[in-house]
Amino acid sequence: MNIDFDILGAGICAPGLPDWEALLTALAGRGLSEDRKAQPSALLSPRERRRAPAAVKLSFAAAEQACAMAGLEPAEPVAVFSSGMGDLQITDYMCRTLAEQPDLLSPTRFHNSVHNAASGYWSIGAGATGDVTAVSGWRDSALVGLLECLSRIHHEQQPVLLVVYDDVACGPMRDLWPTEQPFCAAMVMARPGNSAAVSRLQATVGRDRDPHDELPEPLQARIVDNPAARILPLMALVAGHTSGPVTLAGEQGLSLEFQVPIP
Amino acid sequence: MICDDFVDQDEFPVHVTSMTLSCAAGQGLAALRQALAEQRSGLRTNDFPGCELDTWIGRVSGVEDIRFDPDLAEYDCRNNRLALIGLEQDGFVQAAEALRKRYGRERIACVIGTSTAGIGTTEAAYRDLGEDEHFDPAYLLPRVHTPHTSAAFVARVLGLNGPVVTISTACSSSAKVFATAARLVDAGLADAAVVGGVDSLCLSVLYGFHSLELVSDQPCRPFDRARKGLSLGEGAGFAILEKTPEQSLGRLLGWGESSDAHHMASPHPEGAGAGAAMAGALKRAGLDPQAIGYINCHGTATPLNDQVEARAIRRIFPTPPPAASTKGWTGHTLGAAGIAESVFSLLALNDGYLPAGLNLTEPEPDWEDFILLEPVEKQIDAVLSNSFGFGGSNCALIFGREGA
Repeated sequence: MNIDFDILGAGICAPGLPDWEALLTALAGRGLSEDRKAQPSALLSPRERRRAPAAVKLSFAAAEQACAMAGLEPAEPVAVFSSGMGDLQITDYMCRTLAEQPDLLSPTRFHNSVHNAASGYWSIGAGATGDVTAVSGWRDSALVGLLECLSRIHHEQQPVLLVVYDDVACGPMRDLWPTEQPFCAAMVMARPGNSAAVSRLQATVGRDRDPHDELPEPLQARIVDNPAARILPLMALVAGHTSGPVTLAGEQGLSLEFQVPIP
Repeated sequence: MICDDFVDQDEFPVHVTSMTLSCAAGQGLAALRQALAEQRSGLRTNDFPGCELDTWIGRVSGVEDIRFDPDLAEYDCRNNRLALIGLEQDGFVQAAEALRKRYGRERIACVIGTSTAGIGTTEAAYRDLGEDEHFDPAYLLPRVHTPHTSAAFVARVLGLNGPVVTISTACSSSAKVFATAARLVDAGLADAAVVGGVDSLCLSVLYGFHSLELVSDQPCRPFDRARKGLSLGEGAGFAILEKTPEQSLGRLLGWGESSDAHHMASPHPEGAGAGAAMAGALKRAGLDPQAIGYINCHGTATPLNDQVEARAIRRIFPTPPPAASTKGWTGHTLGAAGIAESVFSLLALNDGYLPAGLNLTEPEPDWEDFILLEPVEKQIDAVLSNSFGFGGSNCALIFGREGA
């Protein structure tokens, strides 16, 4: 079983990795772009940006970059948001408030506590009336998001926006989710045949964890730190930094292997 | 923008070959059929520990008494105890075992919808927090405090090793599992799938929906003029999807997924997204609206939701088929609502018994022509199930009777 697909655009947002250019710089061994920040979201007004839940703040920048590189309006693609833990700041707020003063729970923060808050706000901000969904795979969320996107590309005509993100925990949840750097990456994927594609890749089902080329140290450290960053070797393949194959191995279930298809 | 391409039925048949549901109205299909026939609600006055709210809930009895084997202890939480109760009904574990023998564990997807996941245990860990701001060691269960807990747990219990996916889009979660699983099978990423939904009562949803003033202090009354809000519930339901079945409870003919792009917690006033989901499901199924014999509504019983859904149904169905919400039996099971109502829809398809809503005596004029006041005995060929959630996430499913 092979699934060929095009990457139409990609984006990234993490400390020191505010955009695709910063990723290319890091892949070239020239370190992180610590002095630059991601462009603020164009989908949110300054007021909305201030009030937005953490998951929205983390995920929109990369998603917007990927759409812009693909030359698509954010409303156009089907969107798949994948996160292992969702909005950990709201989890902390909810559980703390319920333990102390449950009657004071904020209705806004309650409806923002759903796992599809980021994707819901994306739909609202982008005006996306097509399918916008939210999935999770705990530490396999990059893999789960890719599975959802690949099956959609096989089945439907529309391009698919994948957004993979995970934040740092606050409070006692840090013992369970020790990630120290937030991370978000996004890609617009489509059926093959797009002249403007950034790259063409082939996905196959695998079982083993094949070694991928070691990425430069600061990126390798992010992969160890944040499970969402397990998508970085695939991003390196998209960027042409490696020739693959790259394997994204599930801790549970199947694995996906990616390579540049042999013409 | 619903997908434009036409899907040929014969090229893409996915059948439901086993199913089960456990909720307040009963554990397993026999108990549920009996509750439907006897018009017996599973709702009770709120007795959820630690919650003083004056409301009614659809609580499943006996969840607290479940004990996990030591090798499953890392998954122990209310959601997964409820999942285990669900898996043990209607021979579902045995059916999954037969499926594993037939296709191999690597070729079976496990796609589970949930909104609460293990948050009830996270709440408890915060209640028992010490001065040092660390969880008590008993709560250091990384596989519980994640939205993915129940998909991982179900795959583990059933021994499935294909794609293991959690869908968490609030109250549409376990309707969307059918679409995701069908696509995984169609793409060749799996040969068959276990789908389902599990959501459990917890303080987050009890106090959260209360803060939004969406909860009734009486048993919920979907589509009644006097409806005051929803009753929260919990449930676990599962189904097996196969391409070439030995027996079929119904075929997944179509699905529609859409977004309101309107508000996080309120539906679009005209039900634009709800209508788009129903229209998308009909288009994918290649069916005219009159082919649908019954609609299992989302029907949460909040004043606005029922009105918007009825409006959307009327826009898509010039002459709406008989329709009802079964939430009077179960309460609103949130992330498990999609699977619960899919099971009720498939029961209607197989039994020729179309339930009316409970606690419904006086419908509004807007829908009195199609919302059922009394159950109807009638064979139908196709049934539509609606699920709508926070974030403006909508999913409609159509199941058809085999041979129809």
